Order: sequence, then C-alpha cells, then structure tokens
Amino acid sequence: MQIDAPAVAGRSRMIPRLRLFAVVGAALLLGACGLVGVKPWERDLMAKPEMLLDAAPIDSAMDDHVYFSKEAASGGKGFGGGGCGCN
Amino acid sequence: MSQLRATSRAQRRAGVALALLFASAGACAGPPDALDLGAYAGKVVLLDFWASWCLPCKESFPWMQQVHNRYAQQGLVVIAVDVDHDRKPADQFLAQLQPSFPIVFDPHGNLAERFGVNGMPASFYIDRNGRIRYTHTGFHAQERDAAERELTGLLAEATFSTARKP
Amino acid sequence: MQLKPRARRQQLALAALALFGGSAAQAQSDLPATEGNQPAVIDTGFLWYQESNNRITDAEVIVSAHQPLGGDTAWNGRLTIDAVCGGSPIGALPSKSSQSFVTPTATSLNPPVVVTQTTTSASGGGGGLGVNLCTNPVQNQKYIVAPGQLPIDQSFHDQRIALSGGYEAPIGTQSKFSAGAALSHELDFFSTSINGLLSRDFNNRNTTLAAGLNLEADKISPVGGTPVPLSPYGAFEKGGNRNKNLQDALLGVTQVVTRRWITQANVSYEHSSGYQTDPYKIVTQVDALGNDAAGMYLYESRPQTRNRLALFWDNKYAFDNDVLQASYRRTQDSWGVHTDTFEMHYRLSLGDYGYFEPHAREYRQSAADFFRFFLFQTAAQPAYVSADPRLAAFTGQTFGLKYGLALGKDGEFDVRAERYTQRGAGPANPPPGLQGLDLYPGMQAYLLQVGLRFTF
Repeated sequence: MQIDAPAVAGRSRMIPRLRLFAVVGAALLLGACGLVGVKPWERDLMAKPEMLLDAAPIDSAMDDHVYFSKEAASGGKGFGGGGCGCN
Repeated sequence: MSQLRATSRAQRRAGVALALLFASAGACAGPPDALDLGAYAGKVVLLDFWASWCLPCKESFPWMQQVHNRYAQQGLVVIAVDVDHDRKPADQFLAQLQPSFPIVFDPHGNLAERFGVNGMPASFYIDRNGRIRYTHTGFHAQERDAAERELTGLLAEATFSTARKP
Repeated sequence: MQLKPRARRQQLALAALALFGGSAAQAQSDLPATEGNQPAVIDTGFLWYQESNNRITDAEVIVSAHQPLGGDTAWNGRLTIDAVCGGSPIGALPSKSSQSFVTPTATSLNPPVVVTQTTTSASGGGGGLGVNLCTNPVQNQKYIVAPGQLPIDQSFHDQRIALSGGYEAPIGTQSKFSAGAALSHELDFFSTSINGLLSRDFNNRNTTLAAGLNLEADKISPVGGTPVPLSPYGAFEKGGNRNKNLQDALLGVTQVVTRRWITQANVSYEHSSGYQTDPYKIVTQVDALGNDAAGMYLYESRPQTRNRLALFWDNKYAFDNDVLQASYRRTQDSWGVHTDTFEMHYRLSLGDYGYFEPHAREYRQSAADFFRFFLFQTAAQPAYVSADPRLAAFTGQTFGLKYGLALGKDGEFDVRAERYTQRGAGPANPPPGLQGLDLYPGMQAYLLQVGLRFTF
C-alpha cells in the first residue's frame, strides 16, 4: 500500500475539515441557545455510567500511552460534561 | 447551592391550576398518577421530583424521611414524584430506601413540565394555602438545615381563607 | 525512549475527568445513601503489550482513586508503573550486507561484548509472536545485524513511575474548576506538569463549555549522553542533559443533543520548545548507487519547536441497553505531520452476564517534512533529518474486544485484547543498492489488559 505524503502541506485538505467542524460548531451553538437538548427529567440514559464520554479512563490511559509511543500524534481527546445533570 | 427564590406568579398559578387539572383527570398523553394538591389544603407540602438514576436524589430521601417523621404531625406532607420512564428501577430504588411518605409516578414528565422542573432533584415547598413558596434545585447536604427552617417557617403560618387569590 | 508518558493532553483529560469523574462515581453506586456520603472509586488496570518479532514488550499497572469530599468537591489521584524493554528500531535501514551497531553507553565501536540481533525477519507484519522476556538488558555491547534485517537495539529497557493528583470544586451552581499536577520519572526522562480546567453549564446542563491549560517541563538525560545532532555515529560526540517545555490549551463544548445522543467537540493547541530529537536514532547515509558504506550513519536532528493543533469530535449514542461510540480526531503540526483517527466502540449488553465491547480504530499519518528513509552522502546535509519510522507516513489499524462483568453491586471486572498493526511503504524509487530490501517493515503489537473497579 503506497502512502504518499501530500504534495501540498495540508492546506488543500484543511478546508473541507474546517467545514465539518463549522457544522458541528453550529449544531453545538444551537444547543447553547436551547434549541436542542433534553428536559432535566429525561437524563435517564445519559446518567448511565457507560454513557459518560470517558467511561473507561484506564483503557484510555493505556491506549494513549501506546499510541503516543508509536505514532506522531497524541492526545486531543475529551474532557467531560453530560451525565445525569444533577446538582 | 440550590436556588432559593420566592416563586413567580406563574408558578403560584401553576400550583392552583394543577390541583384543578387533576381534579378533572389529565388530558396529556400517558396520564401520571393522580396528584390532587387540593386534598392537602391547610397542610404544608414538600413536593419532590426524583429519579432512580439521580444520586443526589438518593441522598435526599433520608433527609425527607427525617422531616416527614419530625413534622408530619404538625401538618407536613412529603410527596415524592418519580420521573423514571420504567417502573422497575424506581421500585428497586424504593425497595432500598423504603420511604414511608407517598410516591407519585410521572413517567412522561407531565407533572415535571407543569411545575417547571429545571434540574434534578427539584423540590417545591407549598404553603397551607396551596402557594409555592420555595423552590430548590439539586440537593446539597450543607443546605439541609436552612431548608428545614423554611419548612418550619411555613408550618408556623396559619391558614388564610381559601377565597384569597394569589 | 520508546514508550513515553508525555501525555500532556492526557493530563488535561485527567483534570477534566476529575472534574466530571464525580458523575462517574455517582452513576455507578447502588449503595444506599448515607447522609453526605458519596462513594469513592478505585480503578485499576494491568496491561501486557507485546510486539511481534522480539521487539518491544511492556507491562504497565495503573491505580486510580477518586473520592468525593462533600459539597460536590473531590480529589483524585493516579499511580502508574511501567517497565518496558526489547528492540526498538534505531532508524538505520536494512542493508544487503551485515551491519553492526553499539548500544548507547558504548564509547567506541568495539566494546567487549558482541551479540547477534535475534529477530527472525525484518517483516513486522504477521511475523511470529515470540514473547520477549527482556533477557538482554546488558549495556555496552556491539550487536551484529544480518543482511536484510531491520536494525533494532535490543538492549533498550526503561522503568517509569508516574504520580498525578487533582482537586475539583464547584463555583456557584453552574461552574466547576479542577486543578492538578503530575510527576513522571524514567531512567532518561523526568517530567513535571500542572493543569487547570474551568467549565460552565448552560441550557439546563445540556451544554457544557470548558477551557483548560496544561504546562509541562521535561528534563531529558539520555543514556550514554546526548549526541550532537547530525554528528557521525562513530565519532561519539556526546553532551549533557537537555530540557523541553510544553504548553497545551484546550477549548471545548459538550452537548446533550437528544435523550440518547451526546456529542463533544474540542480544539487543542500545543506548543513545545526545547530538545525534541530522539537521542538514540540515526540515519543511514548511502552513496549514489544506494550502497551504504560501513559506519556511515549520522545522528538525527529535529527542530527545537513544534506547534500542534488538534480537532476532536466524539459521540455516544444510547440504545436501550447498548452504547455506540464514534469519534474522529484530526491533528496538524509545524513538522508537517497530519493525522486522521477514526475510532468506534460498540458496547453489547448481555444483561446480568456482562457486556462485550468490540473496538476498531483506523489511523493515518503523513510523514514529517524532515523525514527521510536515508541520506545521500554527496547531497547537502539538511538542517533537520530523522529516519524514525514513527515520523514516516503510515496507517495503523486496531481491532479489539473487551468483556466486562459487574461484581456484585460495587465492582466491575474487565478484560480486553487488542491487535495493533502499522503498515506503510518504503521510498517510491529506491536506488539500486536498496532495492529488494523491505525498508518499512511496519509493526504488529498485541495488547492484553485486565482491570478491576471498586466503589466504596
């Protein structure tokens, strides 16, 4: 399998990805404006431990270590939010 | 750090409207259990919204049991409204905590919607005249004493004539 | 320096996890609530990592604790211990003739002990999985690499101990902060860092915005000294310790979209400055025909700064009992490395019998601007060059399966096995002297992890 480094340093492929993130960002802004989301009493599924974005922190730590050591990219992953929304 | 605030007119109206609404049987999709607050006129009502998946709710039950034990004779009524979609996890929760105060089931969230629940757990302290006087969102152990004083304050109030409009 | 703990964003993630780990603790416990007493969680894992062809072996243990302290505050701590050894590619290419190299502590090309490299083939894809028990940690030796073999320093070994801790507390009713610090010590590396994260909920806690910072200072003390970059391999020009500093910033938003779907997008930026070179890696020099002259290797050299942008988008969708997770990460940096990572987990619930969770990950990486498979002797020497396969263009595929089972009400046991394969290609048009050699053998690794989690 031939893998070629891009001839142009990435800029030509950056723009479609920027669009993707713009769309995601817009969707999230909608959320911030209250147009998406759920009522506080509808957080039953979100409250499940397996629905936390980092539900397996040990797995993530082990994997991050492996991929950090064997690849040129690292991290960039998440931080939290979600859950039952209580208190 | 729950939100203690004097309730708005709208909420007071909601309290009265609710009693009327359920006196006439709910028309929403999937009726909740009947909650006729009119039946509690003259009493102080602690109306609490909880769910089996809400851990602070688990913490609030022993406290609610305590205030129920202490003040039921003075006219305090504790009603805990469950918003679980399914009965089974709610039953498990209740089997563990075994409250002696009444439980109402609101699986479609109609009651929660009408009271304007904006966090879990949510509780409303309703005075002897059926007006919502305090709203608490969330349960924080360090606020239990202050909350208890609010209840004793409401219990100490005499009932006015029910003809007075809010 | 193969398996390194420099997970700066991991520190940020850990701070953030601490921040929201409260809900993890909350959601897991079925204990009857005693007044003001929220459950503490201890989470442990043991990993065995083994590459095929006698390359790297690693064993790692993590123990994490999270304890609520009342008033929605909590502390968290983590201890990581890790031992790694085995063979790591030194950057030199396979050759049609026999080659010899020395271990990092050697001060001449003829140390007293001479061994033969023991990998059976240069190909890392599908080669035999011999478990490496790290029986060859002796320093100061010469090793002979047979024709066609990828040169690997099998004397590599390292132990790491890392400690991190943090504290989280609410600010008002809608905001939280968390702060933490971490230390990590290895034979040739020492790192300290601090981190902080601020978050705020909006829209009835459907939306969470977060901003975080991580600052790290590293000291690098290579075994055998720090080679002068681009100096000849046989000249043994070595210097003292080096430093590196890193700053990471993160900005992100989490949104509960529907009752079943939660999504998160974040952007993070890292600036690092200082010694970024790998002190153990060399680059083969060849003549115009592609033949390497004996001993013609240079130590690699990397730029002193690196800026990296990462965009990450994660999603979880709750079915009635199962959960689907899918994420995409894009990184770009000032070294010209662009990466795309697609990852998916599907948690298949078996009710009382636990759950299975298959996992797939696809990774693509472009080569660094200064990556070269080899250098022509007669060409002008570049300012920076590295032949480290980890800076080449390649793809990685991971497939794994995890099984988990609740132990009573307060515990969980899990086990997972994964296979990670790296595939790439050598240079498109190698000179005659290098034709017929497998210049990018790739790599295959197996992971086996067991874990236990307890709630108190």
